[in-house]
Amino acid sequence: MPSSKKIVMLGHFGVGKTSLVRRYVDSAFSEDYLVTLGVQVKSKEVNYKGETIKLIIWDIEGNTSLDLARKSYLMGSQGFVYVFDVTRPETFNHLQSELDFLGTNYSKVPYVLVGNKKDLISSDQIQQQFSDNIFQNTTFTSAKEGENVESFFLDLLTQLI
Amino acid sequence: MVQEEEEKLQLLRDILLIDDRQVADAIAQRIDLITETIEKKEKLSEKVDPIIEERLTRFVSEIPVSLGPVITQTLKEEIENSKEQVVEALYPIMGKMIKRYIQHEIEMLSENINKKVNNTFSLISFKRKIRARFTGVRESDLMISEIDAPLVNELFVIQKGSGLLLGNYSNTSRVDKDMVSGMLTAIKSFVEDAFDGGNQDLESIEYELYKIHIQNFHTYYIAAVISGTYSRSFENILENKLLKLSKSLSSSISSLTKEEIDGILKRFFQKWRVPKK
Repeated sequence: MPSSKKIVMLGHFGVGKTSLVRRYVDSAFSEDYLVTLGVQVKSKEVNYKGETIKLIIWDIEGNTSLDLARKSYLMGSQGFVYVFDVTRPETFNHLQSELDFLGTNYSKVPYVLVGNKKDLISSDQIQQQFSDNIFQNTTFTSAKEGENVESFFLDLLTQLI
Repeated sequence: MVQEEEEKLQLLRDILLIDDRQVADAIAQRIDLITETIEKKEKLSEKVDPIIEERLTRFVSEIPVSLGPVITQTLKEEIENSKEQVVEALYPIMGKMIKRYIQHEIEMLSENINKKVNNTFSLISFKRKIRARFTGVRESDLMISEIDAPLVNELFVIQKGSGLLLGNYSNTSRVDKDMVSGMLTAIKSFVEDAFDGGNQDLESIEYELYKIHIQNFHTYYIAAVISGTYSRSFENILENKLLKLSKSLSSSISSLTKEEIDGILKRFFQKWRVPKK
């Protein structure tokens, strides 16, 4: 019987949280944008070092700030995925305060930083725009093309176990 | 002399006109035949029917390809634009169907009651009579409640907050239980947050023929999916049963594995004899 881990997707509206989850769990992508209301729970079993782990992924509605996220959705989380949109600065302008919030309130919960929609800008632009230290451990992904989606979940899993 | 000239002229006329006359005769005959064909229905249909039939066959075979999408689109638009008329048109048909369904259900109910009444001298009936006397509930009400007796279909033990499934017992295996427990917790959290009542807990969710009874404990909660008539007395029985179940869970819930909790729930189900229909 696999052990279960609760992972919560965080970030602004329209950064692609649902698309990343869909790509990871269902291997699918849709151009249509449907705003997530409340929360959508999906699960995926993964094998990690011979052990089967069931990831229960809570894809919660987007918020302009983590302060505004429903606390009850974050309760009991074992990992966070903070997603921003590389093409919209308003989704990563206040990243430092968002990460501080996680550090203060969920200090024991590991997280990964994900810059999504990398298919919309060039690699050079990514290097220039995200050269600050704060983006050092960011995984740049494309839910549309499926690029690096598995890798950040694996990265989080490594931190969880 | 004149006669001779007349004869010559006649000869010349014959030479010049004889071919034309034959042709004219032939054309006249042909026209007669065509006129007859057009004017006589049988003859006309002999000629035209095969052509029409061939055209019709081709038309019918081409309809789905050529007209199908147009018709579908038109119908969709018409339904979209005239919803009220569609409802008006469907209402009598739906009404009849619902009426027939209700009639059928009433017949079944009446049959069941008849069976129970005919079984007046059985042990169950005797017990029912005693129950009716002591509880003050009419025997007929007890009979009706027995017909649609409540049934616990599924039981979930879920960690509070995280919504992680700690254990489950179910008669069905249709949906991902982890997802169900996550979504149940999300709904529960949302309601408890939205209607801030100071640490109050959501205790039940109803949807059509099912009711989810939620019983909260310190670190976890139990959700029971129930079908049938969910009466107040059944709720009391269920609450007591779940309290009893929690005694074997609460002390060791953090150390028990999912398989162990599943086992406890299975035994709980086997021991608990839910009144059968």
